Amino acid sequence: MATSTTHAGLARQFWRGGRRLVTGLLSLLVTLLGLLAFTFMLSHLSPVDPVLQVAGDHASESTYQQVRHDLGLDKPLPVQFWRYLSHLAHGELGVSNITSQPVASDLARTFPATLELATCAMIFGAVFGITLALLAAWKPGSLLDNLARLISLLGYSVPVFWLGLLGLLLFYAVLHWSAGPGRLDDIWIYTLEPKTGFVLIDSWLSGDREMFRNAIAHLWLPVVVLGMLSMAGITRLLRAALLEENSKEYVTLARAKGASRGRILLCHIFPNVRGTLITVLGLSYATLLEGSVLTETVFAWPGVGRYLTTALFASDMPAILGATLLIGSCFVLLNALVDALTWLTDPRTR
Amino acid sequence: MKIFAPAVLTLALSTSFAANAATPPDTLVIAQSIDDASSFDPAEGFELTSVQAFTNLYQRLLQSDPQNPNELKPTLASRWEAGKDNRSLIVTLRDGATFASGNPVRPEDVMFSLARVVKLNLDPSFILTQLGWTKENVDSQLKKIDDRHVQISWQANVSPTYVLSLLAAPVSSIVDAKTVLANQKNNDLGNKWLATHSAGSGPFQIRRFVPHEVVLLTANPRSPGDAPKLKNILIKNVPEAATRRLLLEQGDADIARNLGVDQISALKGKPGVKPLAIPMASLYYMQFNIDAQPALKNPALWQAARYLFDYQGIANDLLKGQFQVHQSFLPEGFPGALNETPYQYDPEKARAILAKAGLNNVSFKLVVSNQPPYLDIAQALQASFAKGGIKIELIPGLSTEVATNVKAHKYEATLNAWGADYFDPNTNASAFAYNPEDGSKTLAWRSNWHIPELSKQTLAATAESDPAKRVALYQAMQREVMKNSPYVVGLQARNLIAVRDNLKGYVQGINPDMVYYSQVSK
Repeated sequence: MATSTTHAGLARQFWRGGRRLVTGLLSLLVTLLGLLAFTFMLSHLSPVDPVLQVAGDHASESTYQQVRHDLGLDKPLPVQFWRYLSHLAHGELGVSNITSQPVASDLARTFPATLELATCAMIFGAVFGITLALLAAWKPGSLLDNLARLISLLGYSVPVFWLGLLGLLLFYAVLHWSAGPGRLDDIWIYTLEPKTGFVLIDSWLSGDREMFRNAIAHLWLPVVVLGMLSMAGITRLLRAALLEENSKEYVTLARAKGASRGRILLCHIFPNVRGTLITVLGLSYATLLEGSVLTETVFAWPGVGRYLTTALFASDMPAILGATLLIGSCFVLLNALVDALTWLTDPRTR
Repeated sequence: MKIFAPAVLTLALSTSFAANAATPPDTLVIAQSIDDASSFDPAEGFELTSVQAFTNLYQRLLQSDPQNPNELKPTLASRWEAGKDNRSLIVTLRDGATFASGNPVRPEDVMFSLARVVKLNLDPSFILTQLGWTKENVDSQLKKIDDRHVQISWQANVSPTYVLSLLAAPVSSIVDAKTVLANQKNNDLGNKWLATHSAGSGPFQIRRFVPHEVVLLTANPRSPGDAPKLKNILIKNVPEAATRRLLLEQGDADIARNLGVDQISALKGKPGVKPLAIPMASLYYMQFNIDAQPALKNPALWQAARYLFDYQGIANDLLKGQFQVHQSFLPEGFPGALNETPYQYDPEKARAILAKAGLNNVSFKLVVSNQPPYLDIAQALQASFAKGGIKIELIPGLSTEVATNVKAHKYEATLNAWGADYFDPNTNASAFAYNPEDGSKTLAWRSNWHIPELSKQTLAATAESDPAKRVALYQAMQREVMKNSPYVVGLQARNLIAVRDNLKGYVQGINPDMVYYSQVSK
């Protein structure tokens, strides 16, 4: 009897999980479609003439009309959108006007650079952010707590662009602790064979340890600058969640039983804020992926954020739509992942 | 103290990873923004990064002397001779010239190169279609006489002197027809392939181009003429000017381009670096759309505006060293350029001119790019015009947005820059003093300025064979435009760059394509 009850419970959970997955996938598709439609409309409201971007200033009227026709801009908006979607269904993102390359290959080249930077920044932000939040919640109101709050406030309020330039000036120009902008020193550009697009991995695979060290020398400063932002967010939100838990009855009970402050924090409170932690980490990672534009500009980091900005300034429609779709997909997928992880790890959400 | 331990450890570890700042000895490293580079096909590339590369990747039949741009020197041609009809040139090709591929330079390559520009009909093709060449007739205008001679004919009423100027433009670069045709797809005359590859006889060839990241050129030992002194040219994309300055200062770049006034000031007196301000053929001017409101049609307003442009204040005080005062439509350094500056900032005189014309409470909207130095100059103009009784409302926007609005006549006034497309006075005359009313979208057209007489003079100047007479024609036109036009030409830009002081042999001229890397050593 007991066994059949367990099986029924598992089946119910499986059914719920499956339903959730299907709903999640549907919502993902609808969100992406909405995002595409919105971006498409916005880019068409732009006062910049995309035909001139392609045809150039000196194009004759006939050339202008020809380019307009070739780009499909003489068709009604819904037809243009449908055309874009049908190309998309065949895996075609179009050709960028400014690089003259397929948008898909541009994104395949630039996205690993952003992913590498954002992932390392996320790890930095998570390690230091969680540590700071735990230290702050360990003794609220103490010097450590105030310091954690100050650091997180600075991380939030100091502009990344300014912090990047200051970091370069100090660690690259004055102290020589960091390598300069870019992903590798020039000498390696001749030899590095791009396999994965991640310089850390490619340089490691090349077997040239000096190149690997050089990649780290280039990477650490932008990672710290960008990671400060996620560290600030993680510290603030996690600290607040920990302090909120701290006032609950089960903590008072544990305290009454004589558990130490550290044990209560790590073994009782921390596991109960995992939902918040997962959400904060997920959102923080998504923000890093989409928001590393300024860091990429200062550090000449050829990522997707810079690619999108350049495309926006040049009104390069295929590139704008392709990059928006990629970043939007990341955002939606990360949200779905956060939901799934919370559901899996926290029985209260089932 | 414990919380600092991880941070200190990270920093300490990073010291061991830090790189030594030095560029490879056989490579010239240039830090600049290459976001503009979309194609390295000379029939298509028209942006700063691509035209700077063309001089080093390709050769033309004749080219400006790097030391004296006014003089055209034989390059792939050894000599040329005007035909008796004054509508053709017989060009003799240089002996033994080869492309980087090893293929010899033949009359077929010359004919293919010039014809493909017209057939592809991309942005810079207008330079050659001025000769009356069309897709249909261009093949008949280019004839092989024998293995060393080619005849170039044209239908437009232009002189051989003017045609030689056009043949010295980057768009007239000679490409290796055999290599290009071997790589063509869908009858595109190799356009897609040449966007990221090169097939020329210049001192360098493209080894690798990663858009938005790097352009790597490598020496072409077969190039006719002097062999390049360095093996590689590495142009890396550094979009931020302050970062470019840091790279140069640290020795991680040999040249940093397009620096701002702040960066140049910071570099002055620094050991190991040499800041340079190179005159360039870029004019900053104010322009009125004379149909936008009645006051803007009044020549008295144009005249008053000439006395309300604070030339010295902007060039010397606001943008120290980045500009020089210049008031005619041909930039200093161009054949026939006038260097007279008859107008000075004089608000009282402007007030008197406006009062005499009965223009009271004049105000207009000035659309301007939100990028430096446009917005800085526009704000200075807002203040200087206010002292003369003219109210300017600034409308800043994206440069592409401003350009689109101006080209659609949706503006009252704008502050803009105009760069020369090729090294001949006609490049600017055909913009500032030409409105043929045939749909050509010149600067005069953008102003709705109807000028049949000046347009005739512009055409006549291209037909004039005598260089001295030609110069006199352009000077007369400049004086006329300076005195009576809806433009206020105020400034000529200087290109602010900085180089490492161990760099030798770097030459940069007034036109964007006049960048010469072959004799650089360090």
